[in-house]
Amino acid sequence: MKNKIKEIRTKLNITQDELAQSVGVRRETIVFLEQGKYNPSLNLAHSVAKKLKIKIDDLFIFEEEDEKRK
Amino acid sequence: MLNNSNINNKKMTIKKYNIFRMIIVIALAIIFSQAIIFQNFLLSAGVLIIGSLIVYSMRKNVKEVMADERDYEHGGKAALLAMQIYCWMGVVAMFALKSQAYLNATYDIIANTLAFSICIFMLLYSFIFRLKSKGKFWNGWTVYTFIVLVLFIILAIMGTIKI
Repeated sequence: MKNKIKEIRTKLNITQDELAQSVGVRRETIVFLEQGKYNPSLNLAHSVAKKLKIKIDDLFIFEEEDEKRK
Repeated sequence: MLNNSNINNKKMTIKKYNIFRMIIVIALAIIFSQAIIFQNFLLSAGVLIIGSLIVYSMRKNVKEVMADERDYEHGGKAALLAMQIYCWMGVVAMFALKSQAYLNATYDIIANTLAFSICIFMLLYSFIFRLKSKGKFWNGWTVYTFIVLVLFIILAIMGTIKI
């Protein structure tokens, strides 16, 4: 699943470490999230979106391929 | 006067925790094994308890996130895969040992122990899985799995005693 985490995080001048600490995950998880290699739980997605002051729908780009993979 | 860097140095980070834990585990293993060799069981038990308490208190001081949902997800998958590998290897080893039991009677005992351990392992996994997925103990399938597990443990102990 693609997302705009890196783009918005950079705009807001927040480091990966800061974002990770504020949402209660390890920095590696943020790295994997940004690379689109990890699908977060609804709770984590909500926390990240809240921290980045954006709607979940606008932050994560859901593609049909993601659904087919399941 | 303490500056920020000094304060940060006093924090127990995950890296520091892992290094200290490794040192403590190595020291514990050396003292524990020596205590067992010299048959000083009180010392070995004491060392084990003190070591566990030190590691526990160190872990309490780590303020960083040690594990998150991604770790738990991977942990679950790794545990399942490890269980499957262990079970398959155990079954193969059991048949191999059973077939060679005429050479040495101990092979038969090892094969039986392996078979019992695999069954208990799978039943335990099944019970915990049902408990977690249903969210309560008083569910038909969870209670049923628990009863089967307890019965199997009793049978396994009885079987082992008979052997």
